[in-house]
Amino acid sequence: MTDATEAAAVLARARQGDSDAFRALIERHSRSVFRLAYRMTGNEQDAEDVVQESFLRAYRQLGRFESRANFGTWLYRIVANCSVDLMRAKQARHDQARGESLDAAVEMPASQTPGPERLAHSSEIERRVRDALGGLSPLERAAFTLRHYEGRSIEEIGKTLGLGTSAAKHSVFRAVKKLRIALQPLRGES
Amino acid sequence: MKHYHEDDLILYYYGEGRKRPDIERHLDECGTCAANYREIAGTLSMVVEPPLPERGDQYGLEVWQRIRHKLPEQELPWWSLWFRGERLMLVAAAAVLVLAAFVAGRYLPGERAGSAPAGDTPPTMARGGTAEERQRILLSSVADHLDRSARVLTDVVNTAESRDISTEQRWAEDLLTTSRLYRQDAEDAGEQTVATVLDDLERSLLEIVHSPSQISAADLEQIRRRIDLAALLFKVRVLSDELRQRDSAPADAATPRTSTRKIS
Repeated sequence: MTDATEAAAVLARARQGDSDAFRALIERHSRSVFRLAYRMTGNEQDAEDVVQESFLRAYRQLGRFESRANFGTWLYRIVANCSVDLMRAKQARHDQARGESLDAAVEMPASQTPGPERLAHSSEIERRVRDALGGLSPLERAAFTLRHYEGRSIEEIGKTLGLGTSAAKHSVFRAVKKLRIALQPLRGES
Repeated sequence: MKHYHEDDLILYYYGEGRKRPDIERHLDECGTCAANYREIAGTLSMVVEPPLPERGDQYGLEVWQRIRHKLPEQELPWWSLWFRGERLMLVAAAAVLVLAAFVAGRYLPGERAGSAPAGDTPPTMARGGTAEERQRILLSSVADHLDRSARVLTDVVNTAESRDISTEQRWAEDLLTTSRLYRQDAEDAGEQTVATVLDDLERSLLEIVHSPSQISAADLEQIRRRIDLAALLFKVRVLSDELRQRDSAPADAATPRTSTRKIS
């Protein structure tokens, strides 16, 4: 039996509610799911939550999965959207606690920028990049991650996140603009 | 000299956009755009992928252990709902009712005509009164059905963002079943316009039922566009009003049949 035939057979069994077959699907896809979830959330614990929620969501919706479609692509969309949902929920909690918008947080005042010695340090760059990414809206971060780290085209990003091409494009543009503002001090010193 | 927008330069950086050859030439000639592009590329080159935490060969098994006791019930595909026991019984009950109404409508008036003095009233006219009653009941029921459908369509049309529409899908599914029965009745009764609007309505209800319960903004936009394109909400409301007017009109009034009026 070829790999493809075997994969199709496992998928068919999982769609009929066979939990062993679903376990096989998890074993096959969990590492790539974690990789995407980590890139999207930038946080190990959040990524684990996304992995768990994505597989639960996939199991629930497996009956609606079109067998002609690619399971990996279908799962990829679920993971991307679970990540956006988790980041939105986190953002809502965060905003409620802080009572201020994320956009304001991204635009850090120049006076708070550290000195040149510190900026030269690569861990400082990493920290600033992480903070800047953390300042993006969930959708901007998702679109940017798919474009920048995953190398997906704008069209694919739109399909994955359920957006029109124009909305996907503008999410990437907004993300890059915010990153430029947030990382401007680093560029000035480098 | 015309300068390229930041957005064009971002697309260029990622190897996308239709203007790539033009931008490439332009960047050789224009210092302003070249500097702008260098800044964008410099910023984006700082955003390197963070090291990914390692996950071993047993990771899949760990995930399975974490979720195996939380596995939810699988959502069944829409068509399989028809084969569930309680749904089958409902459909069968509805079919029996329709059949009973049909048989009663066909034979009861004949008996009444038979009991009337021979030659007084032609059989077709004797049946006319009862047929009219049946017609009025049908039209009134269809008007209620159209109002309920309009509410579901309005809910979906007014949904702005991606969200869970499983409640609307359940309503749409129930309405779909009823709609098919009413359409058949309307066709039998010669109410062609009613049947046509119900047919249009079924297409949109079917689309809602078939959509993923966690619907995306793009899918919503597509449904909304089709409903707008067919002017479906308008047709449904106009037809509902018209049927109610016909229902409340005096029985002997010469009310035109809906089928003579085109709703477009």
